[in-house]
Amino acid sequence: MADLSINLAGIKSPNPFWLASAPPTNSGYQVQRAFEAGWGGAVWKTLGDPILNVSSRFAAINFNGQRVAGFNNIELITDRPLDVNLKEIYETKKRFPNHAIIASLMVEPKQEKWHEIVKRVEDVGVDGLELNFGCPHGMAERGMGSASGQVPSLVEKQTYWVKEAAKTPVIVKLTPNITDITVTAEAAVNGGADAISMINTINSLMGVDLDTWNTIPHVAGKGAHGGYCGPAVKPIALNMVAECARNPRISVPISGIGGISNWQDAVEFILMGAAGVQVCTAAMHHGFRIVEDMIEGLDHYLDSKNISAVSELIGKSVPRYSDWGNLDLHYNITAQINTDVCINCNKCHIACEDTSHQCIDMIKGDNGRSYLKVREEDCVGCNLCAIVCPVEGAITMVEQTSMQPMTWNERQAALNSSK
Amino acid sequence: MSEHEQYLAEKEKIDQLLSEGYNIYHAVENLDGAFVEFFHLKSGTKKTLHIRTANARKYFSSIFIQQKSS
Amino acid sequence: MVTIKTQRISITDLERNFEEADRGFTNQEALEESNRCLFCYDAPCIKACPTGIDIPSFIKKIASGNLLGSAKTIMSSNPVGASCARVCPTEELCEGSCVLNHSTSPIQIGKLQRYATDWAIKNEQTLFKAGTPNGKTAAVIGGGPAGLSAARELARFGFRVTIYEAAEKAGGLNTYGIVSFRLPQSISFWEVEQVQKLNVRILTNTMAGRDVSAEELLHSYDYIVLAAGMAHVPDLRIEGEELKGVYDAIEFVKATKSGKLSRDFAGKRVAVIGAGNTAIDGATCSVRLGAENVKILYRRSVEEMTAYDFEYEFAKQDGVEFRWLTAPKRIIGDAEGQVAGIECVQMALGDPGEDGRRSPAEVEGSEFTLPVDAVIKAIGQTRHLPLIEAFGLQHEYGVVTADKETFQTSNPKIFACGDILFGKGKGDAMVVTAAQQGKLAAYAIHKQAQTAGTAK
Ligand SMILES: Cc1cc2nc3c(=O)[nH]c(=O)nc-3n(C[C@H](O)[C@H](O)[C@H](O)COP(=O)(O)OP(=O)(O)OC[C@H]3O[C@@H](n4cnc5c(N)ncnc54)[C@H](O)[C@@H]3O)c2cc1C
Ligand SMILES: Cc1cc2nc3c(=O)[nH]c(=O)nc-3n(C[C@H](O)[C@H](O)[C@H](O)COP(=O)(O)O)c2cc1C
Ligand code: SF4
Repeated sequence: MADLSINLAGIKSPNPFWLASAPPTNSGYQVQRAFEAGWGGAVWKTLGDPILNVSSRFAAINFNGQRVAGFNNIELITDRPLDVNLKEIYETKKRFPNHAIIASLMVEPKQEKWHEIVKRVEDVGVDGLELNFGCPHGMAERGMGSASGQVPSLVEKQTYWVKEAAKTPVIVKLTPNITDITVTAEAAVNGGADAISMINTINSLMGVDLDTWNTIPHVAGKGAHGGYCGPAVKPIALNMVAECARNPRISVPISGIGGISNWQDAVEFILMGAAGVQVCTAAMHHGFRIVEDMIEGLDHYLDSKNISAVSELIGKSVPRYSDWGNLDLHYNITAQINTDVCINCNKCHIACEDTSHQCIDMIKGDNGRSYLKVREEDCVGCNLCAIVCPVEGAITMVEQTSMQPMTWNERQAALNSSK
Repeated sequence: MSEHEQYLAEKEKIDQLLSEGYNIYHAVENLDGAFVEFFHLKSGTKKTLHIRTANARKYFSSIFIQQKSS
Repeated sequence: MVTIKTQRISITDLERNFEEADRGFTNQEALEESNRCLFCYDAPCIKACPTGIDIPSFIKKIASGNLLGSAKTIMSSNPVGASCARVCPTEELCEGSCVLNHSTSPIQIGKLQRYATDWAIKNEQTLFKAGTPNGKTAAVIGGGPAGLSAARELARFGFRVTIYEAAEKAGGLNTYGIVSFRLPQSISFWEVEQVQKLNVRILTNTMAGRDVSAEELLHSYDYIVLAAGMAHVPDLRIEGEELKGVYDAIEFVKATKSGKLSRDFAGKRVAVIGAGNTAIDGATCSVRLGAENVKILYRRSVEEMTAYDFEYEFAKQDGVEFRWLTAPKRIIGDAEGQVAGIECVQMALGDPGEDGRRSPAEVEGSEFTLPVDAVIKAIGQTRHLPLIEAFGLQHEYGVVTADKETFQTSNPKIFACGDILFGKGKGDAMVVTAAQQGKLAAYAIHKQAQTAGTAK
């Protein structure tokens, strides 16, 4: 068994799987059930001045019958008084001393407010703090959450105030509702953050009911934008993690969040630079028990790769993530169709014919059987056919011999130097 | 003519000039593609090729980089 | 096709036995199955459907929640698409050609088709409109799948169409011949109604050749579509055929679809002669009427049986026994003239005959007697010879001769389609082929009417 424990900026947990600050971590009862199920840590549902919630809070997008491809909510932070939460944190920590409990915090952007809450949560023995600069709805209208997370100077200043008071590691949770997340990440680092986490939810409107014309979800016939998460946001989150990880000015550990549903997703985030991951939607969809496979799957994966500790995986793919200008323009792959496996649905043909480069021919063989063939010289290696193909192994993208590598940047440098 | 055949035709023109002893010394790129200027050192003659296809534009620039490094 | 989840025959509640056995897809099942469809380009299922339904389209419309569009897509290609969803041998047709046969499992096209058409039925949708009148008239003889299909298409082209139907209700074998636990009458009636809504007049209880003569029809209409199907089951030509308790399978099935179910079969032993679709239906109906033991006697072997695999499975699940290579020699009666037994003889298969099937021959001295209370004859159907001859049409042993593409008969005004064209070795008699032929006959008539119109 590989060593799955992590140490994220000084916060230790038996495995890299934490529950993100959200309904699953609302109470001591839930977090204790989660730890029993195997979760390595939990970021407590965001603490702050207790709020009031509305009824009808979540909605999900179902894609082609697949439920919860994406998830959205208009829920706010905890609606329970701080002392109730603190008592439960204390009890949970006492029962599970080796699991990580991180307090997520959100208060108005005032120094004394931050000092007060930091002191009170640290007194009950949390392992770290996560500053919620991310919630895009409700709290943002009051100047908190993403409203302050979108302003680099506010991120830096508030992080600084927290660090003035904090004894435990401080994680800054970033909002994705921003053009370039590395800017706010850098602000957090400048404010003294020990780590950053991302992403919080993305501004979204889940849908409109075709019969009532109400928004989805709606509250008595009215709706407001919510925060989007779940499998659909994973690529967005993964990119943001990777962009921060490869940025030399953002030198702190990253806690990866966003659409992580299984161990494979988690490995991808870790390879792209996350030192641990947080999960919300997948747990809300299936319950805490999903962590069993996450742990086992990760363990088996590490064993199969002869890697003894998950920490060795961190950031292994980061050097492979670069700018477009550094990609080799001569790298050449073309599609090849294995007619033994192909079931002749012709989806690749029509996709290429109508929307790519018209290079998959439908051919009738001498025996009257139809088959598909790629005209390799016209194939640009876009992958579309392989993407739409429903059968594993029917289409392979094959590397072709090509010229010496040449990137766009190299090419432009050469051409410009001739001017 | 397929895109690939256009590329082959353009590549052939480039290769022809190269085999005649021309070198690329300059290229201007604009909305219509690349105008690649060749120079024959011995005779001092200049020739310009209008290169349109993406693959030929990759091709000539690789040749250009090769020529510069050698 | 039919898949049975819980196979239970009630001995007391016979009515329940005749309710549709398959419960159809739930919304959830339909959504999941429709999303599994790959939406193939140039899809093989479309070609495998005799009526050429755009199957990927109707399935995608189920997935998108456009059920009206889905039902229209189905019914526009196949005027009896709701019945076909239930009775087509789909594993030989659309589902058999699904590309997913080569990877996972084929899309359950029949059940999806049923789901969409059921929606239209439940929501009382009218799917099509009559065309602008073109001033032409057509008489359709027979209101079965072929006749309805031809009538619907002709009405859409603007013909004034009258259907002459001998039975009390239209729908043909869909109404009276295919057992109600596979095809409830209500489905067939809905399809009839859809055709009626295009101002098609349906004269029931009106038999051509009896209630209205061939000459009169030829005189009164511009075109005639002959879609009278086939007739009753032929005689076995053995001793005892006249005994009480000997039934024509089609009449027997018809009785189960016409009002009160008979209690006379409860606890009885039934022998069914033949092994085609009709024999299966006769046998499963017997079981569902409470018969204690039902045997199918077939003079050839399981290989030559013309019933579909799914029908065979269905019958076996109903507890029907199969006696292969068994031919009836004589039906034995008791003192009251009631069937008491059947004397059979063992058969052996010889060389393949003209139709490719091996012909059976008696094994000498192998006679044996089975005690039975009823005998159901299901050895095919006879032809409507008098009717065909009244119209003076060319035919071969009662199979009307018609052009393969236009379905025009030896009389240019008369087109024929459906079972009336069905002959040995010419594929299967199926609802779906009858529907397609009806459509094609209508197209040919429309084309002819148009050219005739311009020539004037
Ligand atoms: C028991 C049984 C089970 C079957 N099961 C299946 C199955 O599962 N799947 C499948 O695809 N096919 C099945 N078939 C075959 C299918 O029913 C026929 O191929 C189809 O009904 C043929 O349609 P049709 O319109 O040509 O004839 P029919 O359905 O026979 O309709 C002919 C109509 O013409 C009427 N008629 C006849 N003579 C006259 C007249 N002189 N004047 C006016 N009207 C007249 C009749 O009353 C009838 O309504 C089955 C057949 C039988 C007998
Ligand atoms: C219903 C709901 C409530 C949430 N509440 C909070 C919150 O109070 N504080 C916070 O930092 N993030 C909150 N989040 C965001 C999650 O912690 C997490 O960042 C986001 O859901 C992305 O992860 P996922 O794709 O695994 O769900 C909430 C998310 C959901 C779905
Ligand atoms: S899950 Fe359903 S029942 Fe439970 S709190 Fe939410 S809305 Fe209410």
